[in-house]
This record gives sequence, C-alpha cells and structure tokens, in this order.
Amino acid sequence: MPEDSRSARGALIDAEHAAFLATAGVSISVGACNAERLPSVTRAIGCRVADDRSRVTVFVVVAQSREVLDDLRANSRIAVAFSEPHTHRTVQLKGEDAVAEALIDGDLRHIERYRDAFTAELGALGYSPLFTRTLLDCSGGEVVAVSFTPAAAFSQTPGPKAGTPLGDLR
Amino acid sequence: MSQRLDAIRDCLEGVVPAIMATCSADGTPNVAYLSQTEYVDGQHVALSYQFFNTTRRNILENPNARLVVTHPHTAERYRLQLRYLRTETAGPLFERMKAKLAGIASHTGMSGVFRLLGSDVYRVFDVERVPGVALAPSPPPRANLLAALRATATRLASCRDLDALFNETLACLESQFDVRHAMLLLLDGSGSHLYTIASRGYAQSGVGSEIPLGQGVIGVAAREATPIRIGYMTLEYTYGRAIRAAAAANGLAAALETEIPLPGLAESASQLAVPIRAAGRLLGVLYVESTQNLRFGYDDEDALVALGGQLGAAMLALQGADAGEDIPAPEPAAGCADSAPVVVRHYAADDSVFLDDDYLIKGVAGSIFWALVRDHVETGRNTFSNRELRLDSRIRLPDLSDNLEARLILLRRRLNERGACVRLDKAGRGRLQLTATRPLTLVEVGPS
Repeated sequence: MPEDSRSARGALIDAEHAAFLATAGVSISVGACNAERLPSVTRAIGCRVADDRSRVTVFVVVAQSREVLDDLRANSRIAVAFSEPHTHRTVQLKGEDAVAEALIDGDLRHIERYRDAFTAELGALGYSPLFTRTLLDCSGGEVVAVSFTPAAAFSQTPGPKAGTPLGDLR
Repeated sequence: MSQRLDAIRDCLEGVVPAIMATCSADGTPNVAYLSQTEYVDGQHVALSYQFFNTTRRNILENPNARLVVTHPHTAERYRLQLRYLRTETAGPLFERMKAKLAGIASHTGMSGVFRLLGSDVYRVFDVERVPGVALAPSPPPRANLLAALRATATRLASCRDLDALFNETLACLESQFDVRHAMLLLLDGSGSHLYTIASRGYAQSGVGSEIPLGQGVIGVAAREATPIRIGYMTLEYTYGRAIRAAAAANGLAAALETEIPLPGLAESASQLAVPIRAAGRLLGVLYVESTQNLRFGYDDEDALVALGGQLGAAMLALQGADAGEDIPAPEPAAGCADSAPVVVRHYAADDSVFLDDDYLIKGVAGSIFWALVRDHVETGRNTFSNRELRLDSRIRLPDLSDNLEARLILLRRRLNERGACVRLDKAGRGRLQLTATRPLTLVEVGPS
C-alpha cells in the first residue's frame, strides 16, 4: 500500500482530503459547546493542514467568534464542517484538543488563497466577488488560528453515505 | 432579542445555506449545513428534517441549537439561539416546506436526494447580528407592496359585480404589483377540484380548465388552505404535468376531448398560490408566477394573502348581488333563420356540451347552458333570471354554497372566447339574455 493512501503516522485524513480542506472553495464552519451543552458556531476564513496531516488549523475572526473561543478554552471540543457548494460534498472533523493560537508566517497567505478559491466557487453559483469578500472580510479585526488533531472524520455529503467515517469510504 | 425575527426573513429563504450547530448529550458539538429554513412567526422557525443524522440525534437528546443565517444580498449574518419543540409531518407548514424544498432541490441538482421527512419547529430565543461589514441593500425593484395593496383595495372596493371584481383583481396585479402572469381559480361546490374563472398574461385564457385538490402548487394551496411558494422551477410541482398524470391515471383519455388546457408558463420558475378564504371556508386560489427565480418573497406572500382576504370578502358580498343599475337588454340579433343550424349536443353523464364538434363546457356550467338552450328552443324564451336558475331542478348545483354567478361568468367567457353562435349577456338586475345567431338543433346523449 503506498504511503499516501491511508495515513501518515495515524492521521485520519488522506492527501486528497487534506487538499479538499485546505485548498478547495469550501464553506468552513466551526462548532463548539459550553458546559450547559449550549452550542456555539462561527464561520472560518481559511484552513491549513500540517504536512503530516495530523493537525488541522482553521482561522476565525475573534469579534465574530467570542462564544466559540470561550467554549474551546473551557473544554477544547470542536467540530468543523467543510462543504463545497456546487457538489454538496461535505466533510466533518471532530477534535478534543482544540487550542486558539496566534497566526504564524504564511497564514495570511492561506487566508488570501482561501478567499480567492471561495470567491471563484461562489462566483460560479452567481454570487459577486464583492459578496464573498464581504462574507469573509477580516479587515481590522483580530484573527486567530484554531488548531486541533482530528479524532474523527466523517463524510456529511447529503445522501445515503452521510455519516460514514472517511476511512470507510475508500 | 436584539433583532426581530420578522426583520430578517430574507435570510430564511434558503438562498445561502444556513449553518447549524448542535451538541450531543455527552457534550460533543456538531455542525451541519441546512438547505432550507422557514420563517413560521415572530418567535419560531422551522428547519427541514431530511435525513436521520447527527444533527437529528443531537436535538432529540439536547434541544439547544445555534443557527447562522446569511442575507443573500447584503451578506449580513445573524446568529439565532434555538430550542427544538416538535416535528410536523403533515399539514400546512409541512406542505409549504415540501414544495419549497422541491424547488431548492431541483435548483441545486439534488432532486431525488433532498426529501422532506418533517418540519422541525424551533422557538427562537435570540437573534444576534454577527459583527462585520455588509453590502448596501439593493433598491427595491418594484413598487412598495403596501402602497400596491392599498391601491388595489381601493379599486376592488368599487367593483359592483363579480365579473368586474375578477377582472380588476388581475388588472391590479399587473398594474400595481408588476405581476404579469396570474390566474384566479374557484373551488367547485363538490370541493374536489378548482376551476379557472379568469387569467391574465397567457396566450390562452384557460377559463374553465380544472385542477384537482392536492395537485401542484395550486391544488396543494387549496387542500391545505395555506400559501405555497416556490422560488425555482421544479418538475415535481409543474401543475400541467401533474394534471396530465392524474388524467392518465383516471383513464380520461377517452374518445371525447373535454379537457381545457390549464394556462401557465412552460418555464415557470417562481410560483405563488394563496388561498382565498372568507367566512371560514375556502372559496378559491389566487395564483401568480414568473420565469424569474426567487421572484416572490415573504413580503409578496403577505401582500397577496391580504389581497386574497379582501377578494374573498368581496366575492361573498357580491355573490347574488345585483349589478345595481339596469342595463338595457341588448336587441336580439335579427334573422338567423336562413343560416345553417348548429347541433348542440349534451352528454348527461358529465353535463358536457358540444357546439357541433367543438367542446364548450361541462359540469354545472354545462347543465346551466343546456337548460337555457332547451327553454330557448322549446318556448322561444330569451331572458332568464339568476333566481329561477338557482331553483331550477335541472341544474345540478353541487350544494348551496356553489357560486351560480361565477358559473355564469365562466359560461359567458367560454362562449365569447369560442366566438360561439350563442351569446349570454347581462340584462340588468340579476337577469341575462340569450342570443342565438344560428338556429339550434338539440341532441341529448345518454339518460336525461
């Protein structure tokens, strides 16, 4: 079995999925919940996946994500859904060790690349570039990187295979 | 609540998918994209339940949910705090969502995948604007709906008979609401189907065409007595197709063609059917459509529901009312004895009437016509009163609530459209005058 096909050092996601998460024009949503089991949710404005695919990082605007960041600080449990509008292909990752960190070198480029990809994706569906840029705008606001180790990964594409762990789809 | 739910209804049209977060009993979060959200009232939304998935499992364990909805033009986002209350699997809300979902599914290439299992109703506890920039709202493309409704109400209030009321309603939809394709259908006294009494914006008026309750956007709106609104073309609710399928199932493709084709746009994208109700019962359906996607929004629906209410009240008030002033009876057309006779054929089984080989009408309107021409041929009478027709045992009005005046309007319009050799004209104060320009030969088919 080639090294690439399943996982690098136990990572749940393969190279194809990693590319889908980090470079496709996917809508990225982040969920968490507090001790009272009240969920919180925010939109992410980009993603990076570690070279060994063991760690996934999403970028969020702090002012839009206060509850999510509070909840992650309290219990580190995270859910992130990546959905490609024109195909409905959707992947959900879950993690139990999420932490919010400062951006590192190269993250702003990830954010810009994501904005271009999502603008192109929504453009094909009839949305103006201005609309998508407004949706993803982070000018002037603080952005943080939320990183976690995917502990579970599911396909969430609508249909009979929704909910299937990614590994079982192969 | 920092924002009113009814102020952000445009975000609940399902144009930009909503994002929903839930949490299991053991505290594991989950995020899902929702293709459909529905405004229920100022405190409630309904979300489509299509698959038994993690979201579903979670809300049954823990009813708390968070929803992010996005305005399709300004990109403004709102975060709603929700609590799951119940699931509806039938009735008006379910049917509204089912129809709308069919449009969304076909628009997004998910026909056959998206299927509504239930409408999950949630109480909304908070609506929060997500901080961030927004685009300026686009200027309204059309007239202010309240102003349009007011102008229409004024004009409808001055109508003195049903004929004028129907015409004025459709004329106002065009002049005030910029709605160019509309039809008005009335519920048959039997309650099993609707018949088209007036239309505007179609090559053929389709007056007299019928649609069974429960078929297509119009039939479902009537059966559930609720507005049905679709923003994208979907074959599932294309009424022409639904009708043809129903007709085929009933084996109606018999020897005689007695179907009047329903008017309607072949490429209809947006459809809105609102029930016309008054005195606690359904009178009919007002239907509008457009080739443009998402032409009708929540506000259009509100305006037309209000218009439907006024139309219903006016219909009840004018039903049986005289036209007020005496209209001088038109002079009977002179000498027709030398023209060739036309054969008027009546089939007792369904009261269908043919003039030579041309289908005219069936049902109650057919039995009215047959009674009129029989009296005309047998006794030479030309004028008739609505009152005597209502009491005439030969005319099988399905029940007392059946609107005789509407049947006469239907009959008159069919005769005029066909350029028939028989005309029915108003002759003042609840009377009508029959004029035949050719001699009539009557043929009764089947038991009378």
